[in-house]
Amino acid sequence: MALSDISHRPKFLREGNVYLPHPAVIEKIVIETADTKTFHFNFKDEKLREEFTFQSGQFCLLSVLGIGEATFCISSSPTRRDHLECSIKEVGRLTRALHRLGVGAEIGFRGPYGNSFPLDFLKGKNLVFVGGGIGLAPLRSLIWNVIDNRQEYGRIDIIYGARTPADLCFSYDLEAWQQDKTVNMVTTVDRGDEAWKGRVGLVPVVLEEVVPSPDNSVAIVCGPPIMIRFTFPALEKLGFSPEQMLTTLEKRMKCGIGKCGRCNIGNIYVCRDGPVFSYAEISSFISSEY
Amino acid sequence: MTAKKIARRDIADLLNEWSREFGVFVPSRDEGVAKWARWGGGDAGFLEWYRNTVVPPKALFFPPLEEMFSFQKDGDGYHVGQPPPTEDRWLVFGIRPCDARALAVLALTFKDGYQDPYYLARRKNGVLVGLGCTRPYESCFCTSLGISPTDAANVDLMLTDIGDDFLVEAVTDKGKELLSKTSLVQAATGADEARAEEAREAAGARVTRKVDSQGAHEKLRAGFEDKDFWERVSAKCISCGICTFLCPTCYCFDISDELVKKQGARFRSWDSCAFPLYTKMPVENPRREKWRRLRQKVCHKYEFYPDSFDVIACTGCGRCIRLCPVNWDITRVLSSLPAQEQLRLER
Repeated sequence: MALSDISHRPKFLREGNVYLPHPAVIEKIVIETADTKTFHFNFKDEKLREEFTFQSGQFCLLSVLGIGEATFCISSSPTRRDHLECSIKEVGRLTRALHRLGVGAEIGFRGPYGNSFPLDFLKGKNLVFVGGGIGLAPLRSLIWNVIDNRQEYGRIDIIYGARTPADLCFSYDLEAWQQDKTVNMVTTVDRGDEAWKGRVGLVPVVLEEVVPSPDNSVAIVCGPPIMIRFTFPALEKLGFSPEQMLTTLEKRMKCGIGKCGRCNIGNIYVCRDGPVFSYAEISSFISSEY
Repeated sequence: MTAKKIARRDIADLLNEWSREFGVFVPSRDEGVAKWARWGGGDAGFLEWYRNTVVPPKALFFPPLEEMFSFQKDGDGYHVGQPPPTEDRWLVFGIRPCDARALAVLALTFKDGYQDPYYLARRKNGVLVGLGCTRPYESCFCTSLGISPTDAANVDLMLTDIGDDFLVEAVTDKGKELLSKTSLVQAATGADEARAEEAREAAGARVTRKVDSQGAHEKLRAGFEDKDFWERVSAKCISCGICTFLCPTCYCFDISDELVKKQGARFRSWDSCAFPLYTKMPVENPRREKWRRLRQKVCHKYEFYPDSFDVIACTGCGRCIRLCPVNWDITRVLSSLPAQEQLRLER
């Protein structure tokens, strides 16, 4: 019995040794916050550059050979194909090594793996993006994807928060979305500072102040686990059903393809069956270990 | 194909013959620990002491530590080398039916979706010669998992001990090919077959430990959130991971790099759900507590794996019972699972 049908995956993924990373070169580094950088990179192999495809919500494994490999979501949009972006917070050995690399350095890339945000389901709907901290990274891929196909979607609300103004990622995107008259951009911080003129308040609380309508809407939520746990009930209170709430889960991963074992929740493997799930799916998991 | 037989004293010659064509692995003792080693000639003494190996034969197909590929650092870039080649053709002699089933179980994960090139290449190049188990341990419970200790289901060639001879049956084409090439076997008689049947029955009867493996699924599902139960049954576990390392169906692995000067390699090594680091993330850890990790182990084998692949990821080999330093016993856990009615009453 084969569980995972990979016949629809791109050819470059199905051929050869799946564990071999593809060499890619860092083309640009954007400093987001004191501990987070966005890396722009491209494959060395021209053929792969041509063939490569991915979807918003998918993840990859980046290598610094000699140090190791770790999982990151692709934070750029497939509608903007000239390079790929990953936004990386320095939290451990590998991310520290990545942060030490400069433009021109080579990294290894495996992927894209996992499922993706269900565009067919989202089309024609109002979208409420709820992000916290670096959790905006996977949402950002979808937000640009949606903005680049603006006429296919309804209203767009983005509620984004961080601990302090200095922790807000993607300030250039926040600025662009603020300017976009077809987007309702709400930025908030848990604690302001002297210069901060914007909103202060936790994301779930601000969400209840913004009061996005659940009618024909889908909320897409990503952020620290504590934020996610409080955001789902807040959305439920606003009338969102479990099917109308999507999130992307994070787990420790090594292989990214359902073999190494550790990212399971019951018989669901986040790398193989996720990382994008509806709250309805999550509620049906046997385990509360998400 | 009718059965053949080979004289006990000719086994060493048979192994010598096969060694000319295959890398042959047989049970061997290394400082008192039974594991698999390359056949080095001499007499087949292991036939006398061998019950089962401590280190399961999965280690031959999925080594505790293996190089995935090597790389050379040059300036800002790398040169990635091809993975090391696996042995051309090789043969495992004496694998027990429980361990042969385990290899089939492992293949389900390694074949599912993206192919695992390392395991599948070894499996493809390998020939399994089974040896029926006539002296099971007290901790064995294979018959509860639908395996008989003399089961030929998952091997290429099957041997059954009938005293001075072994009955030899070709199970697959690989097995038939092996038999056709040797002159050491001769046709078995009706009496030989009768003796083999007797040996099979006697072996089955020697597996006395029983669990209700089919009933476990529902009970595990119903009792998943029964924290008290899981805390109780995991109390003495010391999270050493030996039950998972030596389990023939456990396949969890870690991936890590080594770089010495400019030359490096990426390795994979066995990992274990018994370790808290296994699932640790920067902020959270879904299985920080020991009872959650032990629950994962039991549920993975008896609930999640059947959900995914329709087969229980346990073969009743008993290693996790025999080799546990604190006498943790999975059959006792399975037998003490609260019945659903009982759980409902407690709620």
